Amino acid sequence: MDDTDTDIARAPLPTANTLRARKNLFIQFGRFLAINTKMFKIIGKEHRHTGHRSI
Amino acid sequence: MARVVVMGGGIAGHTAALHLRRMLERSDEVVVVTPNSNWNWIPSNIWVGVGKMKADQVTFALGPIYQRQGIGYEQALATAIHPEGDASHAKPFVDLTHSDPARAGEQGELEYDYLINATGPKLNFGATPGLGPDGHSNSVCTAGHAVEASAALQASIDKMKNGERQVLVVGMGHGTCTCEGAAFEYAFNVEHEVRQAGVRDLADIVYLTNEYELGDFGVGGLTFTQQGFQTTSKLWTESLFRERGIRAITGAHVTGVEEGVVHYEQLDGSISSLFFDFAMLLPPFRGVDLKAFDAVGSDISAELFAPSGFMKVDADYSAKPFEEWRAQDWPSTYQVPRFPNIFAVGIAFAPPHQISQPRKSTNGTVIAPSPPRTGMPSGIMGKLAATNVAEMIKHGASAEVRTASMADMGAACVASAGSGLRKGSAASMTMYPVVPDLVKYPGTGRSLDDTFGEIGLAGHWIKLVLHYLFIYKAKARPGWHLIPE
Repeated sequence: MDDTDTDIARAPLPTANTLRARKNLFIQFGRFLAINTKMFKIIGKEHRHTGHRSI
Repeated sequence: MARVVVMGGGIAGHTAALHLRRMLERSDEVVVVTPNSNWNWIPSNIWVGVGKMKADQVTFALGPIYQRQGIGYEQALATAIHPEGDASHAKPFVDLTHSDPARAGEQGELEYDYLINATGPKLNFGATPGLGPDGHSNSVCTAGHAVEASAALQASIDKMKNGERQVLVVGMGHGTCTCEGAAFEYAFNVEHEVRQAGVRDLADIVYLTNEYELGDFGVGGLTFTQQGFQTTSKLWTESLFRERGIRAITGAHVTGVEEGVVHYEQLDGSISSLFFDFAMLLPPFRGVDLKAFDAVGSDISAELFAPSGFMKVDADYSAKPFEEWRAQDWPSTYQVPRFPNIFAVGIAFAPPHQISQPRKSTNGTVIAPSPPRTGMPSGIMGKLAATNVAEMIKHGASAEVRTASMADMGAACVASAGSGLRKGSAASMTMYPVVPDLVKYPGTGRSLDDTFGEIGLAGHWIKLVLHYLFIYKAKARPGWHLIPE
């Protein structure tokens, strides 16, 4: 019993426009900047959340 | 003057050694003990495994870097720790077996004041009969393994070019494997290469995983917002599998691999076999073969190491059901409680429990992804241990140690789905925190503002930038320490 392939067959399929957007150089350059910003936010949180404790 | 010994020269150990050298006085000594002569940027091994990169593009020699930085380097395998010293050593020390060709097999001892265990995993191919490069499947865990995988994949592609249909299986070689993300990446890179070779219609690609469902990645899956809706990494990942025509078998424990056939059991207890022409199956990890002895020579390994061989640190290791797991169970300083001068970071520390809900098949077989603790978390832990050791050396008992629990730590992951500056793609993901905290973030356990996923060419560019950036950093080039972990 494995429903995984059934689930895959029912999963949303990206439209041609979505697939084009995923390869479009201008859109992707914008996404490159946006994703990096999100990643830097996570890195920034790291520094804020690092705590201290006596030995 | 103090001596800090770092066992392991991977992401966590190398990061710790470089930061220690920067933070400590020159009179203090930093020594790295690792059986390997090369550093390997493991996240790019998948590109070596499909022939897009050469092994020397993902590795470099450690010796010259340590010589330039003033870091001691013993190319040796640490075999035992003596945290109390012994009759002939007033200080704690480690036993070594040298592995550099000039001193191969020679035994040695190295005293320390502080010890950072960053030994990484033992690739436990032996857990599954027939698994691995010495058996009947390939691996991309090391650059050398990836080179072999690339050659085997190319042989399959050549057969397809001659009109022969091929079954390509990629996934996890045991029910308790970790690093599902790496297998996911490799599956999609294989699909990309086969498509680029013009033989996609002759390839049946199957992703075989111990994950309960797709998109679990060993972290229990992710929930994030997309176009005004909450969605799951399960649906998102299934969509990618549908788009790229890859089959998947989930909840599987591989029981054995023979020439051209993999046998597996699933959560419902069913036993199946899958015939293949090419298989890349990752091994489960366990701790390296390291023993510990007290001052009189009694074996105290069981006190320092979990049954998995990983080192026990400041975590709550008491056995409790899944429903009672708490974010606070996870370690925050990575110190060994009885020996505060010993730290274990990266893959070397024993997690208190899985992140994904563990399950057993109806036959009682454990099928449970182990928690991933590679990449960004490994680097953060390495730097944390270095910072704390430096503080302890400078301020002694009055030092305040920093904490960084994986339950309060985020991770950014970029999973390649095919390489190429214009044709590549990758799934970019962030999660915060890595270990879900249902008290702080009721419902999903993670911040919806800081957990996201996106597929596209931009992800490939990011992964490529990270490749060059982290190799630059690991080579300790000017300004390396300004690059975050």
